[in-house]
Amino acid sequence: MIIIRLWNFLRGYAIIVVEGLKIERFINMAISNGIYIWDIKKLSYTSISAKIGLENFSRMREIVKRTDSSIEIREKRGLPFLLKNLKRHKIFTASVLMLVIGIYIMCSYIWMIEVTGTKAVEPKVIMEIINQEGLKEGIRKAKIDKHAIENKILIKLPQLSWVGIQVRGTKATVEVVEKRQEPEMISKTDACDIIAAKSGIVHKILVLNGDGAVKDGATVKKGQVLVTGTIVRENTETRYVHSLAQVTARTWYEDAEEMDLQQIEFKDTGRKTTHYMLKILDKELGFKKVAPYSEYNEVREEKNIISFGDYIFPVKLISTRYNELVKVPKTLTADQAKKRCEERLNERLKLQLSENAVVLDKKIDYYVEKKSVKAKISVEILEEIGVKQRIQANN
Amino acid sequence: MNKKTYKIKESLSNALELPKDIVLDVAKVTLTGSNTVTVENHKGILEYNEDQIRINTSSGILTISGSRLNIKSILQEEITISGEINGISY
Repeated sequence: MIIIRLWNFLRGYAIIVVEGLKIERFINMAISNGIYIWDIKKLSYTSISAKIGLENFSRMREIVKRTDSSIEIREKRGLPFLLKNLKRHKIFTASVLMLVIGIYIMCSYIWMIEVTGTKAVEPKVIMEIINQEGLKEGIRKAKIDKHAIENKILIKLPQLSWVGIQVRGTKATVEVVEKRQEPEMISKTDACDIIAAKSGIVHKILVLNGDGAVKDGATVKKGQVLVTGTIVRENTETRYVHSLAQVTARTWYEDAEEMDLQQIEFKDTGRKTTHYMLKILDKELGFKKVAPYSEYNEVREEKNIISFGDYIFPVKLISTRYNELVKVPKTLTADQAKKRCEERLNERLKLQLSENAVVLDKKIDYYVEKKSVKAKISVEILEEIGVKQRIQANN
Repeated sequence: MNKKTYKIKESLSNALELPKDIVLDVAKVTLTGSNTVTVENHKGILEYNEDQIRINTSSGILTISGSRLNIKSILQEEITISGEINGISY
């Protein structure tokens, strides 16, 4: 039925009111003349309303005459009449058309570029490259050669293993996959030494392959050879082997921290003001305002205000919120300062410790002065210090 | 159509299982729910009121009663009526 209605809408139809005593005869004559009428409603005892196709209207007159009834058009509906109306309101029609065309044209440009999947590589670097290659905000979608740009990025950034550019709506997404940085592996067939990664006193050295260069209890410096892969024996040629050994050593770690007793803290007063600005493409519209407070922190947010799913248009609302802060001077007691020092030192120590390290001894010394507290930490650690190093053999 | 040819056609349609509305030119009334009724093979409207519509058919006058009856569409061979239908009778 919807198809018939659509057809009627396209052809145009009229709502008519027929009045007369022989309504039934009127309907019968209309259908026997092949005039399609629909949605017939009884209005009163002698009148009905009905819908009739535009092209049949002139043929209706004769039937009206023969059945002694009167006919009146209540309303004209459908596309032909709509078009007629639109012709009358030219400016309105033109502006609607312009808007539709404008939106259509806007949709064929890129208005937003996003880089995803980066870890070590800065998204900015990738952005710069794609900008150079022509993928910029405000470029026609048809002009983008995705494969060429993908290849260019891969050539310029060898640390990437895959680049994919996807254009959806007005947004281009550049997805990258970085190569995993693998440590340099020394294969078992290559000759190597074992050297000390840190200075310390050797606690235990267990040589599995190669010749031990130091003994238990020896003091070693960073970089010193612990196990050599160069085997020199009398009466035989010098051989080079892949050294294997477990070397544990006691090492020391030291760090210091100073904490002023007079501290200044910033507290949120709860007062805030927000400024709004409009950003179209790269132009910011609106007045640049200065922050209304002397001490504040600033939170800036950009929001696309016109977007339909993936179709994002380059109109942004920038809201800048200033939170007023107030300086609160605070005097720490010596104990509080000590505690803070300790926390900081322990945190830094954690970063220094390797996985299998054991802390043998930890000592923190505090020096309380007039205005500050100084803390010094010294830690004795038992850890593995052996690191393989390839022998630059000349064979 | 005289009685003789009608009889022959009826037995023919019975024997060959042909649809009677086509062979005999009788009306076919389809009631969908209680809101829409379609009459095929009608011979014109005799009376149209909001509570009663009488339709001429080859096998007599069909009376459809109800309330707020509208003629949704009307063609040479088919009428669709909508509204609250209470009864259909010959």
